[in-house]
Amino acid sequence: MASKTILEVQNLTKYFTTPAGQLHAVDGVSFSIEEGKTLGIVGESGCGKSTTGRTILKLIEPTSGKIIFDGKDITKYSRKQMRPLRQEMQMVFQDPFSSLDPRQTVMQLISEPIIEHKLLKSKADIEKRTLELMETVGLAERYINVYPHELDGGRRQRIGIARALAVNPKLIVCDEPVSALDVSIQAQILNLLRKLQKDFGLTYIFITHDLSVVKYFSDDIAVMYLGQMVEKAPSDLLFEKPTHPYTKALLSAIPLPIVGKEKPQRQLIKGEITSPVNLPDECRFCKRCDVAADICKQGNPQLREIAPNHFVACSRV
Amino acid sequence: MATETKATTKVKSRTLFQETWRRLIKNRGAIVGMVFLILLIAVAVLSPVLFDYETDIIGQNMAEALQPPNAAHWFGTDEYGRDLFARVLYGARYSLIIGVGAVMLGLIVGTILGSAAGFKGGITDSIIMRGIDIFYSIPNIMTAVVIVSLLGTSTVNLMIALAFSCASSFARIVRASVMTIRDQEYVESSYAMGLPTWKIIVKHILPNCLSPIIVQITLLIGTTIISASSLSFLGIGVPAPAPEWGALLSAGRGHIRDASYMCVIPGLAIMFTVLALNLLGDGLRDALDPKLKK
Amino acid sequence: MNEDLVLQIKDLVVHYETEDADVHAVNGIDIEIAKKRTLGLVGETGAGKTTTALSILNLVPNPPGVIKQGEIWLDGENVLEMKPHELEHMRGNDVAMIFQDPMTALNPVMTVGDQIGESIMLHQGLDKKAAFEKAKEMLKMVGIAESRAYDYPHQFSGGMKQRVVIAIALACNPKLLIADEPTTALDVTIQAQVLELMKQLIREKEMSMLLITHDLGVVAEVCEDVAVVYAGRIVEKGTADDVFNHMRHPYTEGLFDSLPNLKQRGEELVPIQGLMPDPSDLPPGCAFAPRCPYATEACTKAVPALQSVEGSATHFVACTAYADPDFKLRRNRDGK
Repeated sequence: MASKTILEVQNLTKYFTTPAGQLHAVDGVSFSIEEGKTLGIVGESGCGKSTTGRTILKLIEPTSGKIIFDGKDITKYSRKQMRPLRQEMQMVFQDPFSSLDPRQTVMQLISEPIIEHKLLKSKADIEKRTLELMETVGLAERYINVYPHELDGGRRQRIGIARALAVNPKLIVCDEPVSALDVSIQAQILNLLRKLQKDFGLTYIFITHDLSVVKYFSDDIAVMYLGQMVEKAPSDLLFEKPTHPYTKALLSAIPLPIVGKEKPQRQLIKGEITSPVNLPDECRFCKRCDVAADICKQGNPQLREIAPNHFVACSRV
Repeated sequence: MATETKATTKVKSRTLFQETWRRLIKNRGAIVGMVFLILLIAVAVLSPVLFDYETDIIGQNMAEALQPPNAAHWFGTDEYGRDLFARVLYGARYSLIIGVGAVMLGLIVGTILGSAAGFKGGITDSIIMRGIDIFYSIPNIMTAVVIVSLLGTSTVNLMIALAFSCASSFARIVRASVMTIRDQEYVESSYAMGLPTWKIIVKHILPNCLSPIIVQITLLIGTTIISASSLSFLGIGVPAPAPEWGALLSAGRGHIRDASYMCVIPGLAIMFTVLALNLLGDGLRDALDPKLKK
Repeated sequence: MNEDLVLQIKDLVVHYETEDADVHAVNGIDIEIAKKRTLGLVGETGAGKTTTALSILNLVPNPPGVIKQGEIWLDGENVLEMKPHELEHMRGNDVAMIFQDPMTALNPVMTVGDQIGESIMLHQGLDKKAAFEKAKEMLKMVGIAESRAYDYPHQFSGGMKQRVVIAIALACNPKLLIADEPTTALDVTIQAQVLELMKQLIREKEMSMLLITHDLGVVAEVCEDVAVVYAGRIVEKGTADDVFNHMRHPYTEGLFDSLPNLKQRGEELVPIQGLMPDPSDLPPGCAFAPRCPYATEACTKAVPALQSVEGSATHFVACTAYADPDFKLRRNRDGK
């Protein structure tokens, strides 16, 4: 059975107008995801990964491009038109501390989407479903009247996940869902997300700066730099044969918890990410790139397929 | 973090009201304030039954003029021999209605304007806030004078006049709070959930602005009672013989050397009312804030 | 007291006493840092890492923080017995600290040159002009152009700000640098640069460093010695090789198991069950016992003391299970 494409994004752009000029937060990003798969979007702060995620959900209006969800072109949908679709596409936020209304109890937080989308009518049913969701994400029943500030980060993130699950979505955009958590709790949440994917056939877009997390999680990985995708490939391939100089640098920059023996030599990249304002027509990475040549200054390279399913945007490849 | 140990055993979900009440009654100050205000309201409601307006409140008795507090007249008498105790109790009607009414009116208008300005931002914000700035630059009393002269002298018109200045301060406070809360992730999360904008404002943004609003309410009721008295003094407030507290206060001014109780007693009435409001307001603010739950 | 030690903490106990609870943040920590060595203090949120660091500078906020017992020997002097002026002299001069968030560590209305110079003027008695010149030198040392000394913090990116913070910390050649999660707020590529810089400067200036972090990768990158903290106690310490390649404590093993591995993909992660205990209500005996897969009845009876691993002079573990001479962690059973 061929899997069906649930989300297709074509040439998505989002520009913000700032006093300094146009900020190219997302600049011509295209990808598609099949149902039940996970796409990891990796990059450093300011690369546009979060904006991409929020634009797909239409929390931010795209400047141009196309978003096709489940066969419907939702690019031009108004907030009102989007409302019924919110049942199908959900989001898990980065900060479990600020993404929950501090004045609501766990019960209110989790039941809100059920009530809002009129999925259940009677109070007893709603309460039953809430308890069921709490069990699904591993929250004990006794927390039902508790406020988020009384809970630790891991439990709060479980509430966030339960809220997203409450409407039985098909697609969940996870924006750095574990980066605010401690390592041991991180692992608990990652395992939970994976189990839920298996149980409910969810599709994930997993946005993170942590390459080790996406590797564990994703089928495909897209690396972003200054609003553009610079490399996209199936997870294993990307880690085996990272091709774009930025991907290589990013991989090499991760401090590995290995001492002695087979520890690979790190290669540092110079400079810092600039902000994507008033960009010249050249490769966006060329100023920090070790292998930059004249050709890199002539036009901004686009993604090319260099091997089956392996796309790279680099003039030197 | 201590939730593990003190977890509640029953899993019935509680409503916000029950939750708030449970916490409010643990606050001694709030209880004192609440009891005082309930008594005051009872007095205000019952005073026409307790006193005969014509004889007890405005009937003059020059023979007993300017008596200091004594057994027959607990709060003493004024220069026309009227019993101050009866007048102060009766005056609670006027002062409370004007104070609370003007503030509530101002609260409604101010909250709507402030949340629209804060939430929408941009042009809407500029128009609303510049309008309010203009109002702010004109002295409150002058605005009130203009409005009362246009509409005519009556308690309701006085309330409307005073509500204007309340509305502008509420609008500012609400706008500032809304602007900070608007950018919180939980608001974005509500959008992602599919909530319509008005529901997000009512359910998630305004409840989180409650603390400064409640404090402002308790402060403004006090100042509004005082402002009402200045207007009475100018002759455009509650008409003269009615024992509105501000009017009592200004009537006592002329006798501040020989009969200081005439000022002190209505002053204390205003003070205790404002204090009670503050105590209740603080208690309510804490009770409504789940973060302060012990 | 050992001459070669820059820092020696003995049996430090710090509580935060509030009306509601008595929070046992640090419960008997022993640490030694020798000259030119870098110790990584690893643990999760609430393990007592930052409290330990603040104790070294005698900066634990009091109230509610109370240093209940212990000794902190800094280059031969007990910090806890120092007079206020001695403390002031010690802070910045002998010990400098780098905090996690470079965004808030700098004064937004002073140029970075003045900020670095301020600390030089204070501790080295240079005049303003000389201090500013020295500040420029420091900037150059951390890889920032001298001309930027006249700029304000908001004109710098996060990584650059952290470099400025490092320049301020190193301006007076401290003997010990305490770095509390110095790269957590930075991006990976910038983190790599900053870590490299810190490593190089520490080598050049022959300083010792206490690096506080939750990131085992950062520890592996920078530290020679490692101490793993859990619930205010050190559960395992040794050289990086001891702890990373011959770990003995179940908690250390749990931390490593929780890390997504770059090498293999798709396996279930093995998280540590449960949560960090509430420090105002610690379980009896070993604080890790309720989460420990190897825990037995004996673990809840007494707090295990740090004991040498197979007679090693560097590697210590605090685990009751080793009372059984045949006990081995899962990781140590197969292969190593």
